Amino acid sequence: MRSIAMNRLMVAVAATAFLAACSSKPVEEDVVEEIDDITVTEPVEDTESTKPDYSHIPLTAEGFHNHPSHYDGTTNTRIIYFAFDRSEIPSAAFDTLRAHAKYLRSNNNAKVRLEGHTDERGTREYNVALAERRSKAVQQFLRVQGVSSAQLQTVSYGEEKPQAKGSDEMSWAKNRRVELNYTAGNP
Amino acid sequence: MRIVWSLVLLCFASVAQANLVIEITQGRDDAVPIAVVPFATQGEKVAEDIAAVVSADLHRSGLFEPIDRNDLLSRPSQGKDIIWRDFRVLKSEYLVIGRVEEKGGDEYKVAYELYDVQQGNQLLNESFTARENRFRDVAHTIADNIFEQLTGIPGAFNTKILYVTVNDGDKYPYQLQYADADGHRTKTILRSKEPIMSPSWSPDGRKVAYVSFEEDGLPKIFVHNLVTAERQVVSQSEGINGAPAWSPDGQQLALTLSKDGHAQIYTLDLRTNKLTRRTHTRSLETEARWMPDGQSLVFTSGRGGGPQIYQLDLRSGKAKRLTFNGPYNARPDITPDGRHLVYVHRKDGQYQIGVQDLKRNTFNVLTTSNLNESPSVAPNGTMVIYGSRQGGKGVLEAISIDGKVRVALPSEAGEVREPAWSPFL
Repeated sequence: MRSIAMNRLMVAVAATAFLAACSSKPVEEDVVEEIDDITVTEPVEDTESTKPDYSHIPLTAEGFHNHPSHYDGTTNTRIIYFAFDRSEIPSAAFDTLRAHAKYLRSNNNAKVRLEGHTDERGTREYNVALAERRSKAVQQFLRVQGVSSAQLQTVSYGEEKPQAKGSDEMSWAKNRRVELNYTAGNP
Repeated sequence: MRIVWSLVLLCFASVAQANLVIEITQGRDDAVPIAVVPFATQGEKVAEDIAAVVSADLHRSGLFEPIDRNDLLSRPSQGKDIIWRDFRVLKSEYLVIGRVEEKGGDEYKVAYELYDVQQGNQLLNESFTARENRFRDVAHTIADNIFEQLTGIPGAFNTKILYVTVNDGDKYPYQLQYADADGHRTKTILRSKEPIMSPSWSPDGRKVAYVSFEEDGLPKIFVHNLVTAERQVVSQSEGINGAPAWSPDGQQLALTLSKDGHAQIYTLDLRTNKLTRRTHTRSLETEARWMPDGQSLVFTSGRGGGPQIYQLDLRSGKAKRLTFNGPYNARPDITPDGRHLVYVHRKDGQYQIGVQDLKRNTFNVLTTSNLNESPSVAPNGTMVIYGSRQGGKGVLEAISIDGKVRVALPSEAGEVREPAWSPFL
């Protein structure tokens, strides 16, 4: 249990350090503090070797949405996937969404837009309606975790903005999703 | 200087590419042979080949089989010059001849005549005055009149289509296009970095309503005047603003909003801005179209579990289910006589265009490929244009309401989707 928590922390450290190193734009103040906080705890190089290995769980189109490799349990994960014709949040994504909730609760200036998407099958406007259910499911999860409704906005794109272009099961699995897009106070 | 020229050429190339090329992929065995003789021109040669446009229009209807002009034995342009046996030997049932004469200024007189070859009698004799840049309009009108004379059905060649193109590499990937019904003379109405959806014509053909996610990435419904290019936002409530559909009297829009929780159908009075909620369910309700009498809406509803099509009487507020074939029937359109309901039907996991005769209650699946969507009926009710996929990208196809004639409209300009056929103009 402890090692999983440690792993998550270290992935977070790596990613934050990476972002800080790459970014040429001014970084938000609270983020800078966080980096100062964490960078002293562990050397960044170690995080590579301690990343969880999920290769024993086959990555199928059917199980794609609930595959643990998509969700690192931190706010670095910005995409939640869904099963065909469903709007339930996969259990593998719970920790990730809790991390977003925690961040939003402690950063009142932060705002996130929840962008719902479907795969290309079915009619366009009906898919807009279906995709909204997905973004509202994520919104509801975050509200239950105590996030203020003023920090959350939903928008539904239906099948209009696919992530993968193909017309196959795996592409469709990648396109059934909600993207968390911070419009203010990006973690 | 060289750079400037190559830029200019590039622009022209992209304009030319944007036109859709129409191929007849399935015709009728009983298509009627017709000879359309190249029109005689007087003086300077005119750019537009009117006879070729007329011939292509008639061919595309699937009801006519134009005779190859290279097979013609004589090319009369006046009634007195016709040698009947030249057309009887080609088994041509009808004959179209015509001529273009300069009228002075930059105007021309375009005259044509239609004959029954067996009887040897004249069926039509008309002329038009037009500038050269209107010759395609004249040609489509000639085709419309010939079509109506020979079939009893008004032609829909002199109409327009709207459709959405998507090119991911472009600065403005999403574009709304306006073109002749034969795919020529494409004009871009709107360019955007964000999705454009669900174009819908006003009944007078002068305006279009659509959904655009421009600027802030949120959906808004616009009314866009095609004549003046002025446009205004008519709906931007919280959540979904989708699926606009113009009422037959042009005074109202049916639309889908989720401001009260989830997708429901509303009507918006465009004069008073009064919004009326029309459905009150816990399920998803969207994709409304008006019946031609304006008394009811047909729309997609998830109230029975999966999506099915219902008809809502606007006065009583009562809805009845219209579709019972299979688990997925959605996005209806209706023929102008209110008799045939055309919609997306899932069969064996594939998405097809189906047509239901509401009078006889029969149902036909028209298409055989997969991922067909957004059917739109021609204003004369004979053809349905729809979006399909071929070689991994969106293309437009059209099919006759009886399924016998199939037409492909391949585009070299990336993804093409969501066609909307104009009313008579």
